[in-house]
Amino acid sequence: MNEQLLSVGIDMGTSTTQLVLSKLHIENLASSFTVPRLVITNKEVVYRSDICFTPVLADNRIDMIQIQQFVQEQYAKAGISKEEIQTGAVIITGETARKENASEVLQSLSGFAGDFVVATAGPDLESIIAAKGAGAHTYSKDRSTSIVNIDIGGGTSNLAVFASGDLLDTGCLDIGGRLIKVDQNSHEITYIAPKIKQLAERRGIALALGQRVTPADLEPIIGEMVKLLEESVGIRPLGDFYDTIVTNKGLKLDRNIASISFSGGVADYIYNEATGDVFQYGDIGILLGRAIAASPLTNQLTVARAAETIRATVVGAGSHTTEISGSTITYTDESFPIKSVPILKLSLSDESGDDETLARAITDKLSWFKLNNDLQQVAIAIEGKSSPSFQEVQKYARGLHKGMAELLEQKYPLIVVVHHDMAKVLGQTLYALLDYKKDVICLDSVVVDNGDYIDIGKPIADGKVLPIVIKTLVFH
Amino acid sequence: MNEKDLKSMIESILNEMVGNEPAETNAKPAAPAPSAAPSEAAVAVAQPTASAAAQPTMAPQEQMQEQVDTGECLDDITEINLRKLLLVDDPEDREGYLKMKEKTPARLGVGRAGPRYKTITSLRFRADHAAAQDAVFSYVSEDFVKEMNLVAVETLCSHKDEYITRPDLGRQFSAETIEYIKQNTTKQAKVQIMVGDGLSSAAIEANLRDIVPAITQGLKMYGLEADNILFVKHCRVPSMDVIGDATEADVVCLLVGERPGLVTAESMSAYIAYKPTVGMPEARRTVISNIHSGGTPAVEAGAHIAELIKTMIDRKASGIDLKL
Repeated sequence: MNEQLLSVGIDMGTSTTQLVLSKLHIENLASSFTVPRLVITNKEVVYRSDICFTPVLADNRIDMIQIQQFVQEQYAKAGISKEEIQTGAVIITGETARKENASEVLQSLSGFAGDFVVATAGPDLESIIAAKGAGAHTYSKDRSTSIVNIDIGGGTSNLAVFASGDLLDTGCLDIGGRLIKVDQNSHEITYIAPKIKQLAERRGIALALGQRVTPADLEPIIGEMVKLLEESVGIRPLGDFYDTIVTNKGLKLDRNIASISFSGGVADYIYNEATGDVFQYGDIGILLGRAIAASPLTNQLTVARAAETIRATVVGAGSHTTEISGSTITYTDESFPIKSVPILKLSLSDESGDDETLARAITDKLSWFKLNNDLQQVAIAIEGKSSPSFQEVQKYARGLHKGMAELLEQKYPLIVVVHHDMAKVLGQTLYALLDYKKDVICLDSVVVDNGDYIDIGKPIADGKVLPIVIKTLVFH
Repeated sequence: MNEKDLKSMIESILNEMVGNEPAETNAKPAAPAPSAAPSEAAVAVAQPTASAAAQPTMAPQEQMQEQVDTGECLDDITEINLRKLLLVDDPEDREGYLKMKEKTPARLGVGRAGPRYKTITSLRFRADHAAAQDAVFSYVSEDFVKEMNLVAVETLCSHKDEYITRPDLGRQFSAETIEYIKQNTTKQAKVQIMVGDGLSSAAIEANLRDIVPAITQGLKMYGLEADNILFVKHCRVPSMDVIGDATEADVVCLLVGERPGLVTAESMSAYIAYKPTVGMPEARRTVISNIHSGGTPAVEAGAHIAELIKTMIDRKASGIDLKL
């Protein structure tokens, strides 16, 4: 059996918006004599869109109509219709995520792009998606090494650290190629981002709007930006401006990182020498790339070539956001897709007690999800046990049943997400406790945490598995 | 194990030897004499400074006290998780090696002592082999069969050797047994579950408690019932065909111990067939194998089997006739 999923990725970044179409190949790797084990075996990008500037209206809101037109045009160019899209993700990144109508645009665009195209946002997710699109996780896995990918776009630098294919950490800095804009013809500064202005003042670097500049004039401020990047990956002691430049959090830096890769628009000018005028894009992207290429970032760490540079995030969104659930699961309801359900992950101590402890913990924590006393739809996540006994499964089911009492009153099915392989039996046990009257969706082999959201698509591979997207939805 | 533990271990081993000695060397009738002499030797070995020699009268008393069985025994080396044990000295990339070992139960990274295995590798190999042999040659206990409320029957084999050497007898029942089976099962049931010791009694005792309730619970969800579960001693897989003929059940599901290997002795398979009958092609059986704590968990396998049985009943087919 070899099934394919057509996936779309759309990235609305600070400066550019792009789209890719990917094919995800799904195969059952188990022999005929064991329970099925479906996995995504291959991901290939089949269509890359043009890159357009993210359209912004005069009042600094995102121009939704233009973006929809862009998506329609690209679908037509690729020769596909919206109905053929089976999965995918729209990610809103960098400065664009901070626009007033960011959330609204994201939600409506995801619906516009396809039935199961999910909305995602958040600096951590951005870092992970870009690094995966750049191939950093594969690099670290294949070479059994650690790597940091820095996705340097127009407004932010997103960091993600992987070791042997596992994600270790993420971070984000307000450093990007379009934080200083320079007029292509007059070479006058037309824009300086607030934090960069502050940095220049702190360091006593003269920098003002309307100032006519040469690359040499910009060297000091770009040098400071590169130093901050060096600090962010642990090859320079943290300086006095580091905390200011960090968007939400930096890396923990608790271990040495062996390699580095770069993605994002600036990356092209780290890996390659630019031809033509350095101000051809009206910003400092090329100069920043050059400065990074000549810095300790590339001398002290082993430089890995990214699989994608400016398209890393969009390829990540198209190819690396959709996962599939474990292959032995329970679902008694078919009303998919289910979109953007927040996760309530229980702690290990909640799970290790008896069913009463579990039930109490769920009841307590469900109150976090109450808005004006109204409980939202929530998916309960547990670690579970590898090879549990039937008694233990019953304990989990009783605890969940009791703890989720409030959720039972909602019209939605109960959603339980388990890490270890036990979802089929747990789902059946729960369904029995509910007297087969309330629908249950119980998935396993999925790792989630508090703050995450889950989207669940229509069953694939003869109903054996469900496509899912684990994501965040954080607007600044 | 630290030095102190080692010392007390040697002491207790020596004491055990000494404790057994009087029975064998009962040439001297005087009670204290035989035990006094060896105990001196024992203490002398355990404590090379031989402080006991200075106080010979103390020795027998100490000896008597220490003879009490504290229930201690050597660590069970089969409990060591081999996937986390790297015995290569000074590996170039320990993390990478362990990462590789995570993916396979094969005994990688065992290192060597000269051209041979290290002692622990050698002992573990023997221990695992012994567990495998035990699994084949032991029986599922009668108490267990009772606890699980199974209907116990046996094939034509009269003992394990015959079971091993005569596969043909392991798939047949006497006329009386077939009559007994007919009387103790539901005729033309939708599902007949049976359990067979097969080549691993250990597998049955390890998994049955968890898989049976998982299967019956799953079946119940589909409105199916399975009672009067049979237990077949000296069981070969095709014995399920005879059960199929005798009970006329729609689906027969046989849970049977798999031939044990060195990775686990507790692996179980489920052979499931739609209306099995003696002489049918093997291809009509559907198999779910590798059910054990390190493979497919018994409870999860049970839930899957329930669904599989339901599919077979709906589609009236099994084995290669059933496209899944």
